[in-house]
Amino acid sequence: MTATATPPEREVGPVPAAPAAPTGRAALPAIADTVLRWAAALAAAVAVFGAVLLVTGADPVSVFTNAWSNTVLNGDAVQQILIKAGPFALTALAVVVPSRAGLVNVGGEGQLIAGGIAAAGVSLALGSTSPGGLTMILMIVAGIAAGAAWAGVAALLRLTVKVNEAVSTLLLNYVALDLMLFLIYQPWKDPHGTGQPATPPVPDAAKLPVFTGSAVHVGLLLVALAVVAVWAVFRWTAWGYRLAAVGGNPEAARRAGLPVTRLLLTAMIVGGALAGLGGAIHLAGVEYQLRPSFGSQLGYIGFLASWLARHRPGPVLLSAVVLAGLAVAGDSLQIDSALPAATVNILTGLILIAVLGWTGSRKKARA
Amino acid sequence: MRPPLIEVLDHSIRFGEVLANDRVGFDVRAGEIHALVGENGAGKSTLLKLIYGVYRPDSGELLADGKQVLITSPADARALGIGMVFQDLRLVPALTVTENIALALGGRFRTGLDRVSRQIHEASVRHGLQVDPDRQVRHLSIGERQRVEILKVLMTGARLVILDEPTSVLAPQEVESLFGVMRRMRENGFGVVIVTHKLGEVRAVADRVTVLRAGRVVLRGADPADHDDAALVEAMVGRRVPPLTRPRPPVPDDAPPALELVAVDADGDRGHQALHGAGLRVRPGEIVGVAGVAGSGQKELCEVALGLRPTTSGEVRIAGTPLSGDTVTHALALGAVGIPEDPVSDSVVVGLTVLEHMPLGGRPVPKRGVGIDWKALATRSREADERAGLHLAPLHRQVSELSGGTIQRVVLTRALADDAALIVAAYPSRGLDIANTRRTQELLLERAAGGAGVLMVSEDLDELISMADRIVVMHDGQVAGTVDAVGADRMAIGRLMLGGADAAPQPDAEGSAA
Repeated sequence: MTATATPPEREVGPVPAAPAAPTGRAALPAIADTVLRWAAALAAAVAVFGAVLLVTGADPVSVFTNAWSNTVLNGDAVQQILIKAGPFALTALAVVVPSRAGLVNVGGEGQLIAGGIAAAGVSLALGSTSPGGLTMILMIVAGIAAGAAWAGVAALLRLTVKVNEAVSTLLLNYVALDLMLFLIYQPWKDPHGTGQPATPPVPDAAKLPVFTGSAVHVGLLLVALAVVAVWAVFRWTAWGYRLAAVGGNPEAARRAGLPVTRLLLTAMIVGGALAGLGGAIHLAGVEYQLRPSFGSQLGYIGFLASWLARHRPGPVLLSAVVLAGLAVAGDSLQIDSALPAATVNILTGLILIAVLGWTGSRKKARA
Repeated sequence: MRPPLIEVLDHSIRFGEVLANDRVGFDVRAGEIHALVGENGAGKSTLLKLIYGVYRPDSGELLADGKQVLITSPADARALGIGMVFQDLRLVPALTVTENIALALGGRFRTGLDRVSRQIHEASVRHGLQVDPDRQVRHLSIGERQRVEILKVLMTGARLVILDEPTSVLAPQEVESLFGVMRRMRENGFGVVIVTHKLGEVRAVADRVTVLRAGRVVLRGADPADHDDAALVEAMVGRRVPPLTRPRPPVPDDAPPALELVAVDADGDRGHQALHGAGLRVRPGEIVGVAGVAGSGQKELCEVALGLRPTTSGEVRIAGTPLSGDTVTHALALGAVGIPEDPVSDSVVVGLTVLEHMPLGGRPVPKRGVGIDWKALATRSREADERAGLHLAPLHRQVSELSGGTIQRVVLTRALADDAALIVAAYPSRGLDIANTRRTQELLLERAAGGAGVLMVSEDLDELISMADRIVVMHDGQVAGTVDAVGADRMAIGRLMLGGADAAPQPDAEGSAA
């Protein structure tokens, strides 16, 4: 028997009920707590950003009102935000699923590009020979498969030769990017194009249809579906539960006889599939062709979105929309307030630090 | 009469909801050995830390030699001549004994290691503590390290030496020699406090005993001879605990052994060979105890038996079937269950509730479509809780937020509520109070009576002798011998634990010393 060093050694017969909440904090429902946390963090970030603006000589109030009216109050901008949020949410889910099993997937970027490449390949191969709807579906399937395969490479490296998946997924991002660049500069370059390096556009019939009277494509329904699906799988399936067990303590999972290797592999592959879906949707719904900038930063922003959401599928939707809003607001800062394009990165960075910092300190307070 | 070396008056300290010490009074005189006993969480550690200046009391006074003092840090305590030998010995393994002690003496001895070495020699003769000043600490056995630690405390000028559960890591012979050292310290006029939960030790060395229960002093400075064991246990637990009745039904001879290890070699976590040709047999209905100095291969033995650790040679059979393929799931499928040595690192999944830990025992889980039937599992868990009687924590609680003993009861309920072919239990009563320890022992006996073979590791020889049919003694990764529990000779077991007549250094004991 060991005499524990720390104070509350409660070891008295029946377990006492949950210790009463130390303060009001734990008494708040979880959702209110989350909202408060976000509000406080956002306010703090905006305040610091305002100070930065003052230093640069801009008027924070007018910058904020401009940004606000040019985004939230502007119908087109709202559509833009939603469209941008789609890939963010999917690449965020690509982090969420592996993280449940304790894996760090930094490869959403590469997996999304791989998905885009596969979708472009399908579109290129089929051209206008097949019905548009079929091409569209095949593009999406191919994108999912390619993203899964790209992540699967990292998972296999980890499980066979023990390469840390955070490193391998990150490096595979560059491989995917270079592969795409090679394809659009060489074999897949549009012969009828303007001479810019790009693949031929997806046939009109295979483009994702938009909602009438808007620019919003139906791919966003798939995004919403993916979020709900991940949530439901986590909540209701044995697989989702087992991932949590492996992620929470792999040794405990091993001792319980769970197939740890298989769970890690599938978690990573499902994550990659989600990012690949994002690549296919981004191609078929937004970009229509591969260009050198295809998918740029989408994976990394998704990575941040997942962290902001503390790797939970529901809040990912919110964080993806917030980050998309910032991206659109960045355009407004640049155009209307004549601030450098990088300014919005400062705001994004501040918000991330504020929210993540808040999360960290909360965990510590709990421990 | 001279005032006590140290006297605690009405100390109280509160941690959140818990009143860890409630108007505690305690005193130690020069030339006495004072045992401080109580269950885990009774407040012993808190009291010691108040005396040693780690915690500040919310209220109360501290007198040293009759004068009121304020101790705000361990340095203050040491200046008053209070020395503490912690359970986790605080020595630097890579340094020699001399260097370690010089480190503790600090600036007071600038004259170099030779002089410190001489002083160590003198002090070790004076106190009867044999140590070799030039040996590296990592080559010393736990018992030797403990002697170094005590010597260190004495050489820094302590007049009151507090030993926090010093016997929990020692073999019986080492315990005897420690008691010898303590008696010598008493004769030399030191005050000695020993924290323990073993009544035998109280009787063996203590002049006075103080019992703490739930933060209060139940018995203060009493003469142990005035109270029988039942009375002392009652003081600790708060109620009578009847002696363990051991039904010993005959073990059927013809059934295949529940567990059989044949010449098993296995490597440890640090790449060294942890098991050398280990062989043993546990028949259905039999309880086989495993004794040994910490780190003698017990952990690896348990893991090999459950298929958790690969063997480098030899064979493991459960219920007559050799483990093969995925040995973990194979062992589970053959009806093996385990109680891990360290439940916090091996069983607790961060983020999962008590209910969500229930499927991780390895037994089949009720399914509903692609999901787990949590409702059925909850019902099943409540039934298991009723059968086991270990007061399972509420099913919705996060296990990682529970205390060690409560976690242990989750693990035990999961493992022991149902019949099994083989139970491999490492330190099953670790962290439990007396009542729950008793219930756990009963459960193991019940499971054995139901046909399970039980392999049980414990550091408490008394526990093994009272429960087991046979005791396997481990030394240096080998089975050094097997003795019948009935009429077992503790000293003979101790000799086997030490691998011979005298205490040889135990390089393997290092890992567990930290």
